[in-house]
Amino acid sequence: MKKHSAVIIAIIVFLVVFIPFASSDPDGLERVVENFGVEEQPSFWQGLMPDYKIAAVEDAYVSTLLAGVIGVLLVLLVSLAVERAIAPKNQA
Amino acid sequence: MVKKPLIVGNTPLIKGVTEAENLHIPDGLITDPLSIAVAVAMWIITLAFLAWAWKKAKDTYPRSITALLAISSAFVFAAQMINFPITFGTSGHLVGGTFLAVLLGPYAAMLSMTIVLLMQAVFFADGGILAFGMNVFNMAIIGGLSFFLIKLLTRGSASSKRFIPSVFVASWLSVTAGAFFTALMISPAFTGGLMVTVPSMLFYHAIIGLGEGAITTALVSSLQQMQPAIMGGLTLLKEKTKL
Repeated sequence: MKKHSAVIIAIIVFLVVFIPFASSDPDGLERVVENFGVEEQPSFWQGLMPDYKIAAVEDAYVSTLLAGVIGVLLVLLVSLAVERAIAPKNQA
Repeated sequence: MVKKPLIVGNTPLIKGVTEAENLHIPDGLITDPLSIAVAVAMWIITLAFLAWAWKKAKDTYPRSITALLAISSAFVFAAQMINFPITFGTSGHLVGGTFLAVLLGPYAAMLSMTIVLLMQAVFFADGGILAFGMNVFNMAIIGGLSFFLIKLLTRGSASSKRFIPSVFVASWLSVTAGAFFTALMISPAFTGGLMVTVPSMLFYHAIIGLGEGAITTALVSSLQQMQPAIMGGLTLLKEKTKL
């Protein structure tokens, strides 16, 4: 358990360190969409934290960091459940 | 999806971070009847793949290490948030499909990536809901299948000298193949169709794939040295993994 917490903390530290350095350039798909002037329609689902931001938090860095940490924890929870389902004997 | 500059006071700031997108098709590109039909078909195809992956994962998932799937999924989610610049004012990020496949084996890797994509779509609107089947296919399924290329190239031995080069090739190919299928799937939204989307998606992602290969091989070789025990997927390399 200690080891697991250490890795999870390392993942969060990774976000703390690298979020400011993340490139804001459009990515491959966005570049292609932009290059050919395709109009993207508004989506019916905007998500709860669109653009990896928490609307209530003004500071861009803190907002994204919090959204990222929440995302990491959500992914952890759901995948723990899946892992227990596919490996039921592995309860140690 | 749409990148609005952040306004602080009167100064628009260039956004310092970006979404995971990259290969994540947004629902905003799925509007015409053909795209919608393809999206529905991909949901069905993907669910079939996932049912297969679930069954096979139950049989083969390495049980020696706890929470390996959970922690690697969380890592891939975090890594996908960080875009690295390539060239031409364009960025990319680690997809992590091949990384998961090496760590977890092909089947659990498909499930792991699907969870990442599901959380991204539901909570962060990164990748569409309608487009979810497409996105799972292009990243989770293709990523998981890249395991078999490594197995083929190394003849099933992780101690092979060809192991790390194979991981590089498989990572590059998984991103490039994902981009190819993405290009096919988004082509109805483009006036020029396939002739426009396929070459341009392949061009950018052939470069992004080099980053994928570099990061994946760096991660795999350091994990192999530091924590050989957790390389669960590798044990599957030795066994006869029957499709």
